[in-house]
Amino acid sequence: MKKERPYLDRVHTWGRISSLTTLCVMLMFPAAICLYLNVWPRFHDVFSGLIKIIPLFWTTAVIEVVSYTPVLGAGGTYLSFVTGNITNLKLPCGLNAMESAGVKAQSEEGEVVSTIAIATSAITTTLILAVGVLLFSPVLPLIKESKLLAPAFQQVLPALFGALGAGYFMKHWRISILPIVVMVIVLVFSGGIPAGTLVPIGVVVSLLGAFGMFKLGWIGSKNTDAAKE
Amino acid sequence: MDFKNSLSMYLIGGALILFIIAQSVFFLVKAWKRGRELGLSSATLRSTVTTSALFTIAPAIAILATVVSLAGALGLVLPWVRLSIIGNLSYETVAATAAMEALNHAGGMAVEVKDQTLFATIAWVMTVGSVFPLLLLPVVTKPIQKKLNTVVAKSKSDLPDILAAAAFIGLIGAFIARAIAGSGEKDIIGDGAGVLSVITLVSAVVISLLLETIRKKLNVNWLQPFVMPLSMFLAMGVAVVAFNLLPADVALLEWRG
Repeated sequence: MKKERPYLDRVHTWGRISSLTTLCVMLMFPAAICLYLNVWPRFHDVFSGLIKIIPLFWTTAVIEVVSYTPVLGAGGTYLSFVTGNITNLKLPCGLNAMESAGVKAQSEEGEVVSTIAIATSAITTTLILAVGVLLFSPVLPLIKESKLLAPAFQQVLPALFGALGAGYFMKHWRISILPIVVMVIVLVFSGGIPAGTLVPIGVVVSLLGAFGMFKLGWIGSKNTDAAKE
Repeated sequence: MDFKNSLSMYLIGGALILFIIAQSVFFLVKAWKRGRELGLSSATLRSTVTTSALFTIAPAIAILATVVSLAGALGLVLPWVRLSIIGNLSYETVAATAAMEALNHAGGMAVEVKDQTLFATIAWVMTVGSVFPLLLLPVVTKPIQKKLNTVVAKSKSDLPDILAAAAFIGLIGAFIARAIAGSGEKDIIGDGAGVLSVITLVSAVVISLLLETIRKKLNVNWLQPFVMPLSMFLAMGVAVVAFNLLPADVALLEWRG
């Protein structure tokens, strides 16, 4: 009888197939929209949108893949990147599950628990989104046209990023001050600067600032340990 | 019928969603079997599933809220698919905004996209912008896991964590700064920084910190996953209340237009 390959090797094979098929299927999505609507955007327009986000998104992708793989394990990593929402959902969910089950991230037990947690989380998210979208579809036009509720949706970005950022800003306040101050100053001089341009400025300033502070010893093991409750 | 929410769009979206669920189920079943082989009890594995499902509910609602908020401009299906596959709460907004700016869509996310070519452009930008990890993973995950694993485990440096946090803060910070000092379209109310945007931003931060303090002081850990979505919804509620209670000239004041 043929001896079965180690579990981790098999996970890598499945993960590679999963990533590449998702890549193809994902690219078929806008293509299907174009076929359905019978419109084909100009390459130049798509490119000028992409050029604003690719430097940031693709750099972040490298940082994320490198930094999450050791924590999430192989199966967890493949599945997390395929299903998305890592920082705000899959990463804390996987860590939480490994801690609850009392297994270590680097062990094979950790690998298994992390994969189960992230798969469950992905299925739950997908179902909640699908049910939510179906429930919301009849109500959405009403919400959009409601004068009373209009401000809630106009202000969704400040609400979302305020709520998402609050914890980070408190935990990493030393890192946070510089990029926000720099971006406010940039906006004071050029208020209409688009978000797509402002985001990379913010990220670069923030990274340089954080790296400088780390080198100066202002932030590092001591400070983050203290902030980790 | 609005082309963004038509039946065909739902069918295209639905097929993709099924594909993603099937993959998750596959990994779940394989990991479960391996877990049993390794001697992990069914109880432990079941509790992992329960804990993770519960943990997911609140962040998933926050993601749903993002889908709904993007739906004003993009319809439900595109944000739904983008946030179910690879997508990410904060990136998708950035990507859609970048595409709109490239085609000079006045008012950005505050205005419904009615042009089909613009819509298709946005779909391409959001998709291609996000697929890079899928090219990267098959190549680097295995070597990283084999080599870096031991290095990271041994290394005491926090630098990777710090840089990841800094990149994230830079991204969120851009939207915070826009709520404080960004200017919007002259004709569109609620688009530029002003009284309402700052009230909403400050409420979101304050409510979030208050909830977090309550959670820690009273040791109510089940509250943790709800802190972010709850703060977001409450801050949106504060915006509604402020808009309806404040005199119109104050509530609509936008210092940056």
